[in-house]
Amino acid sequence: MAAGGGAGNKTYSFKVVLLGEGCVGKTSLVLRYCENKFNDKHITTLQASFLTKKLNITGKRVNLAIWDTAGQERFHALGPIYYRDSNGAILVYDITDEDSFQKVKNWVKELRKMLGNEICLCIVGNKVDLEKERHVSVEEAEGYAESVGAKHYHTSAKLNKGIEELFLDLCKRMMETAQAEERAKGNGASQSTTSRRGVQIVDDDPQAATAAGGCCSSA
Amino acid sequence: MQNLHPERLVTTITTTTTMAAAGADMKPLQHAMKIAKVAIQLDAGNRHKEAYCEYLRSINFITHSLLEDAVSRQGEIVEVEKMLRLAEQCLERAKSSFIGRRDEPATPISYTTPINLAALSLTTALAVSPGKIVSPQPQEPVIYSGPKHNPRPGQRKVLSEGGGEVITFLPPEIFQSFQIVESQDTRKELTPIEEASRLNQKLKENYEARLARLPPAQARTQKTSLTLSLQRQMMENLIIAKARQDALQRKMEERRLRLQEEANRRFAASGTITAEEQEQRVLYTNVLEYEQDHDWPKLWKANIKKNPDDPTLVSGLVSCLLSCPDHPVMMLLKRLQYRVYNRLYPIVSKSLPTSPALPMKPSHSAQSLLMSDSHQNVSKSEVGHSMSSDASLNISFSHDHIANEEDSDGPHTLDRENSFEDLEQFLTQLDWAPSHGDPDVTFEQSQLDQEEPLVQDLEMRDLKEHLKAIVKDIHIAIDQLLSLCLLSFECLNTASSKDLCVASIEEAFFTPLWSSLLALFRKVHRERELSFESSMRLYRDASPGDVGVASKLYPQDPVMLHGSYPYDSAVQELRLLCKDCCPQRKLECIVRTLRLICACAEDYSCLHEAESKTAAIGADDLLPILSYVALHCELPQLVSECAALEEFIHEGYLIGEEGYCLTSMQSALQYVESLHTGGFQLHNTKFT
Repeated sequence: MAAGGGAGNKTYSFKVVLLGEGCVGKTSLVLRYCENKFNDKHITTLQASFLTKKLNITGKRVNLAIWDTAGQERFHALGPIYYRDSNGAILVYDITDEDSFQKVKNWVKELRKMLGNEICLCIVGNKVDLEKERHVSVEEAEGYAESVGAKHYHTSAKLNKGIEELFLDLCKRMMETAQAEERAKGNGASQSTTSRRGVQIVDDDPQAATAAGGCCSSA
Repeated sequence: MQNLHPERLVTTITTTTTMAAAGADMKPLQHAMKIAKVAIQLDAGNRHKEAYCEYLRSINFITHSLLEDAVSRQGEIVEVEKMLRLAEQCLERAKSSFIGRRDEPATPISYTTPINLAALSLTTALAVSPGKIVSPQPQEPVIYSGPKHNPRPGQRKVLSEGGGEVITFLPPEIFQSFQIVESQDTRKELTPIEEASRLNQKLKENYEARLARLPPAQARTQKTSLTLSLQRQMMENLIIAKARQDALQRKMEERRLRLQEEANRRFAASGTITAEEQEQRVLYTNVLEYEQDHDWPKLWKANIKKNPDDPTLVSGLVSCLLSCPDHPVMMLLKRLQYRVYNRLYPIVSKSLPTSPALPMKPSHSAQSLLMSDSHQNVSKSEVGHSMSSDASLNISFSHDHIANEEDSDGPHTLDRENSFEDLEQFLTQLDWAPSHGDPDVTFEQSQLDQEEPLVQDLEMRDLKEHLKAIVKDIHIAIDQLLSLCLLSFECLNTASSKDLCVASIEEAFFTPLWSSLLALFRKVHRERELSFESSMRLYRDASPGDVGVASKLYPQDPVMLHGSYPYDSAVQELRLLCKDCCPQRKLECIVRTLRLICACAEDYSCLHEAESKTAAIGADDLLPILSYVALHCELPQLVSECAALEEFIHEGYLIGEEGYCLTSMQSALQYVESLHTGGFQLHNTKFT
């Protein structure tokens, strides 16, 4: 397999974890994302906890698996088994809740410590429909995100704002990371190391390759 | 094959009789047990009719001696009660062998249950613990549990802490012998020599019959000539057979060389040959050889080539392959399986003295002593027998006693049955001497003997190391099997067929191994299981709210539950997990459990708000409910099961739904484990 470039006969599989406190609206965020893009058959019966989505980005097929995690403090210790092997993390806070932003900072620290820079981080301020009650300033949030190498987004699950962009952007970044990794691997000698990382490059079956639609269409 | 070594059986019986005659000191109970033992062996060999007679003989002996004792010298027999019990059990077994007799001939054996044949003797592979009998439970699918051991639902007993429970597993050589039994069954062709000896047998019979028919006077004169002609005929037959066999062998050898070259050509690309490559070549040669002898692989290949898009053909081929025990893939599977079991056995068959308060019971040491005894040689193991009946007797009945004390509310009859099976198992173990002709086995055996003292000192760290090594072995074994499979059938080398192949291979590979594998995991995760158990006891009557389930996600009104508890269906589903013996199926079970939880949650939330749309639950809600379900499941071994699944889940499933469900299950279990220490501050957290 040629490194990096080329035709759309590859499928990327990415795992994305959703982190954030219990009341910040992770579940509605993800439900909203699916509701818009997909008919029901793409949503597993686990509904809002685990879902997969197939995307087509610049001619490349991407399988996205979104893992929701429990936000309660008492489950915090269980985080590592959820986020291991993740390619991306979406860290959600509630812009009206300063405390939830602090929690995001804790997550960032932990993720960087455990997974290094390989994981693409998105910090998401949700509930921008409640702008009047904002307790986390835009400057502070964006400044912080930049300082830790994460992207910052503002969303509203209620108004369906910013969600599409968030996921699309994240996917593109994860693809870049994966391609960079491939190139690095291609330069090295062997690629047979069976790492348990989530990026898998699978040779496509020919029939599906033709079904490629526009950017980010539902396959 | 071994369960009915006629010669051995005869020796056993003769020893029995001579001892009964000579030894005035042999107690009637012992004698009765000897007979019972013979019966069990016969039963194991599917000789139900003879077994039935032996059981009756044992009963007859018991009643006779008890009657005699009762009528004349009263009270000389001390173990009256025990003897009566034995008689009762023999009667039970006689009944079942009577049924078994009626059902003959035995139904064909499918590969996935390779042990049915011998199941009866192994009704026995029973949980025996020092000082306690763990009854065969639904969550403890003991290796080779026979038809009599259909798990009794609702008969669950949780491990008590510090018990150092040991499930008695079959020694590796028996494990292997069952694999062999099975493959021999399918081999029906006789070699020329065998054919000749059959023919000679007939000639001899004819000769004897003819001689008997002759009047005595004539017989004397004709006998010599008849004998000579018989001898000549027999000799001729043998010589012809020998020549034929040699020719055949030469031909086979030539063919083998030819095929070997073919195999070498196929792998010619690689320059230097590693040991693995060499092995692969040999295996491939075997495959080619097999295909010369059998037509079915060609037929399937042609068929698949004709209809490449037919998935049923692929699964048909795979199941066909699995049902051919003499195909090189299956031979390799058995060999690898045996290798793994051989590594597992010394560890899982020994109890770790986890609790110093609990001294080692004599049963254990006596057993190991006698076992090593029986390994050495036959004559010695015969000696072992004579002393064994005494020992085993005491052990089995003391087990019985202790079990009754510990579990006084348990049904009495069950314990008794166990004690008998305990004994039976013990007796069977004694009779399994290693097959002497097989150098492989004896080698493994000696290795095993060396390991024994070591094993007892194994500490947790070593256990973990061992576990790691075995897990790695299994991964390698599966890879090896898959590659040989794809080598044999190139048509299977597509993504979807490969998945199917792996699934089938794994199922065949894991099924007989899982219980021993799980036993090792349980040893390693013992602490975690104990924590789980403590939480389980503490939260026995907890409501979902107590573990943090949002109140809208379960009905407060008990009437709504129709006498059961919330999420009952998910609990029932999860309990089934331990019944499967294959990782893939277990994973599917976990996925089903989570889906049931989601379905239940939706139903319950509809009860609360009539107007609510679909109530999709996120992880915030899922995890507390899953914890509640795990608590109610009351199976501490879930901890070990999931730890094992974690090791054997496929990479492809890791980030999929299966992976998510397993991860959630693991988290819920960890949370439950932490409950009893209060480490998670149950009540002061806020949750939505």
